[in-house]
Amino acid sequence: MTLIPMSWSRVLSPLLQPLRWLVRRRWLREAEVDAVLAWLQPGWRLNRVFARVEGREWVAEDMLALRLRCNGNARGWRAGQHVQLYLQLDGVRHSRSYSLTHVGRAGRIELAIRRQPGGRLSNRLLDHLPVGALLELGQAQGELCWPQESTGVVLLAAGSGITPLLGLLREALARGFTAPISLLHYIREQGQRPFVEELQQLMQRHPNLSVRWALTGQVQSDAELQGRFSAEHLQGLALDSVLACGPAGFVETVAQHWRGPLQVEAFTAPERSVEPGSAVRLGFARTRRQVTGDSARSLLEQAEAAGLRPAHGCRQGICASCTCTLLSGTVRDLRNGALFAEPGQLIRLCISAPASDVDIDL
Amino acid sequence: MRSDRELSRVELDAFGAELDALRSRTLADLGEVDARYIRRVRGAVRLCCWSGRALLILGWFPPTWLLGTLLLGLGKILENMELGHNVIHGQYDWMNDPEFAGRRYEWDIAGPADFWRHTHNHVHHTWTNVLGMDDDVGYGLVRLFPEQRWKPFYRWQPLWVTLQALLFQYSIAIQHLRLDQVYKGKMSKDELRPLLRQFNAKVLRQWCKDYLFFPLLALLLGANALAVLAGNVLANLLRNLWTFAVIFCGHFTEQAAVFSKASVIGESRGHWYLRQLRGSSNLSGGKLFHILTGNLSHQIEHHLFPDLPARRYAALAVEVREIAARYGQVYNCGSFSAQLTTVLQRIWKYRVPEADVVAA
Repeated sequence: MTLIPMSWSRVLSPLLQPLRWLVRRRWLREAEVDAVLAWLQPGWRLNRVFARVEGREWVAEDMLALRLRCNGNARGWRAGQHVQLYLQLDGVRHSRSYSLTHVGRAGRIELAIRRQPGGRLSNRLLDHLPVGALLELGQAQGELCWPQESTGVVLLAAGSGITPLLGLLREALARGFTAPISLLHYIREQGQRPFVEELQQLMQRHPNLSVRWALTGQVQSDAELQGRFSAEHLQGLALDSVLACGPAGFVETVAQHWRGPLQVEAFTAPERSVEPGSAVRLGFARTRRQVTGDSARSLLEQAEAAGLRPAHGCRQGICASCTCTLLSGTVRDLRNGALFAEPGQLIRLCISAPASDVDIDL
Repeated sequence: MRSDRELSRVELDAFGAELDALRSRTLADLGEVDARYIRRVRGAVRLCCWSGRALLILGWFPPTWLLGTLLLGLGKILENMELGHNVIHGQYDWMNDPEFAGRRYEWDIAGPADFWRHTHNHVHHTWTNVLGMDDDVGYGLVRLFPEQRWKPFYRWQPLWVTLQALLFQYSIAIQHLRLDQVYKGKMSKDELRPLLRQFNAKVLRQWCKDYLFFPLLALLLGANALAVLAGNVLANLLRNLWTFAVIFCGHFTEQAAVFSKASVIGESRGHWYLRQLRGSSNLSGGKLFHILTGNLSHQIEHHLFPDLPARRYAALAVEVREIAARYGQVYNCGSFSAQLTTVLQRIWKYRVPEADVVAA
């Protein structure tokens, strides 16, 4: 039921400040307030960001741009940042991170989603998400920003790493940035050049912009560059500062070849499980600690061995006192060997052992 | 009394493995249906509470006042039992939904959920019916088993139990404060202070909501504040009596067993399962009855699998009963009235020391 339109809820949202205060002081339960707001307008919440799908557009064979309109809780978002997108599948709330390719007025944003072969979430979003559907998003994060003073910007993107850079590029050009900009995009095949028409139009309109694609998969005649990133690809470019975005390996290679001003953003590929007993990296986010652990003992034991004092109870998986959020990586349930790899999943430290490098909210 | 077969080490391991396998099978099957169920329960809680409160605004008119009070009481019972208790156990943590996260959920009852996560989820569920370790055995007020040392204080326990039943929400709230330890000097006032602050804050919030905000709201609307206040008091009272009855039937029926501290040293998984089975008792009844008890009518299954969604217990019970029979274990199940009667009998019987029981 929609009793009031989304735009009204956006206007009224700042007036809910007293309710937010009461929720913070725990005089009110946020879920109850949200239930009433959602009854008035399905996309309205007190603090959580919900967005309605306003448009879908295929920008490559394997990439879809989603135009969304957020409720009033998406504040201070910038193009080039990334947000968590939540989707419920079989009762489980999954989340993935996507970059903002555009942030407009009145809560209008654009995200680009690339199809992951075999990826449950991306396939569901690409094939089954209709215009008008409602999605939950997390707050935007990310530090990438346009080097406004630079005399020559080089943007290096691999795969879906184009998305945050495109967001920054569009905004910089719209603001009238005039220094030379070169965009190199590494993709596997010709058909996977996202936003190719828009980029070509931008090149015509802005003589300071040059875009080149490098095909890493097949050999194509009109591709100007071949193969993976190498230092030669930077030759002849007006080069003052570099922004690079792509898988961790790509970003590392760039960092090895360029010593000047550099901003990077890497997305981690899904962690592969390791054999029980081998060494893994354990990251404790709250205490900002990294230690080397093993994949045999429970995370609780290993956190304690690292000097942390996590809340815990029975130490055998009964009481749930040591429940903690898994930020990234894969953990194995020591009781039945089941693997969990969902970012944001609640796990119990006492019965979970790392099955890859992991980061936990501890 | 119980006629359980003693199990060898090997049998115990096999018994544990069967229950572990049952748990894994259910866990693998969780999904959309369970998520929809708990959302619906929450919907029912809201419907009951909000409609109850709306009816109470209409004042003393008996049909609306009674119905409003009953609906509010029903809402509170559902919230505490099927929603709060089960969510706080982490039964729905797999959904990844922050609104059903066991670590964060705060329920509509005097005791802070943080206290409950310790006294109930950890202490009671780990050390179920182990004398001296599980404070839920009589809550320090009641002597229910001959193994508990008698104190003159227990002579009046029928009176203590009556008071506890009426004020049950406060009784389980102060459990975590360990006032007995403070009294004996084993716990310092400095340790108590932060707990007391948390306790006071939660009780204050509950009182303000039920006994101040809604009566005042009625006053503002030109309605009868006293009728609203009385409705809230009665609704809380109804919830207290119901939860007390259900929870006392869980572990203190005639056939419930207690254990010594020595018996749990170096306890294996199979032994833990066995202790849960012997220390818990089920109530038979219809579907609505099970929901109103938060499925604690399947106390045995709840204690074997505290982290599985409670709506699964009925199906699990069939298999658990069969496993228990194969291993020669009593499966303690009876009607609500029959089980409650044996609990009340225990309260009456063990108010006096053994010598007197034998003499009588």
